[in-house]
Amino acid sequence: MERKPEWLKVRYNQDAVNEVAELMRDLKLNTVCKEANCPNLGECYRKHTATFMILGSACTRNCRFCNVTTGHPLPPDPDEPRHVAEAAKKLGLRHVVLTCPTRDDLPDGGAEQFANTVRAIRELCPGTTVETLISDMQGDTAALDVVLAAQPDVLNHNVETVKELQQAVRSKATYDRSLFVLRYCKEKDPTILTKTGFMVGLGETDEQIAALMDDVLDTGCDILTIGQYLQPSPKHYPLARYATPEDFARYKQMALDKGFHHVASAPLARSSYRAWEALEDVHDLY
Amino acid sequence: MEKKITMPKLRPEMRSGVLCAWLKEEGETVTAGEPLFEIETDKVVNQIEATESGVLKKQLFEEGDTVDVETAVAVLEMK
Repeated sequence: MERKPEWLKVRYNQDAVNEVAELMRDLKLNTVCKEANCPNLGECYRKHTATFMILGSACTRNCRFCNVTTGHPLPPDPDEPRHVAEAAKKLGLRHVVLTCPTRDDLPDGGAEQFANTVRAIRELCPGTTVETLISDMQGDTAALDVVLAAQPDVLNHNVETVKELQQAVRSKATYDRSLFVLRYCKEKDPTILTKTGFMVGLGETDEQIAALMDDVLDTGCDILTIGQYLQPSPKHYPLARYATPEDFARYKQMALDKGFHHVASAPLARSSYRAWEALEDVHDLY
Repeated sequence: MEKKITMPKLRPEMRSGVLCAWLKEEGETVTAGEPLFEIETDKVVNQIEATESGVLKKQLFEEGDTVDVETAVAVLEMK
């Protein structure tokens, strides 16, 4: 294994992790932190924050960058929305991020479960903001409408990589469909902030990154996250490079210059990492 | 009182980890929360923090060794 650069070091405290892990286990909840083997798990759990992965932990797609397990998912758990809200309350979260494995097996892609979970959080945790990090829901506008009707504060959908690498990295998704999801949601309800993210280190060029930023900005997207691709195992899509912190600073400036309202760009920035900061930064816009 | 520090299980499927660096020498004082050693995983280098304070009495493995999860890697003499 190639030695990791100095900036890819994280702290891990078993006691701090156990506390949140036990709460999740007691309430039969999954976190993407655990399922995706997120490098920030130690930091986020210590701060009593986590990104809930609703709709189970098995994904119907098999994207080559992702650590979430491909499998045959179970039907949605009707108790899950309430359990997420209870966990959010126990953790004292002021901003909750909900995500899911892609559920192409469900007619609505899991939209109703998202909506029910947003509403359960609103009821139990008034004042807490909610971000839905959704799959492309196969571009189904009826499904997207269900999510939007629940009025999340932020609608997040990741474009993941540049146009040229989409097919190789996530074969069942498309660049155009992800852009469509972002554009449709913003046009349908301009009061909901839209957000997307992509990884660097998969083999993309700076020109391709600039084109991605232009395409995403054209959908009306407010918030952009940029992070380092970390190969979950030797079986996953090969790592092309480690971008330096200076590269990430350059990408951030490039995105801000183009007109994004908020950009999180750092080696360990993730779609939901410190998500409340983005929301606080842009919440005066609307 | 002595306490054994074990190789943590950083994810469910983890069976062992490579102890890539010690951050404290034998005989050094360790405060709870300070990083004690590093484990390299596929994604990052994890600096494992001591959960209690004491003196690092014994390192049971050398840098570069592969250690099974839950196996003692160090002995801490508690204050």
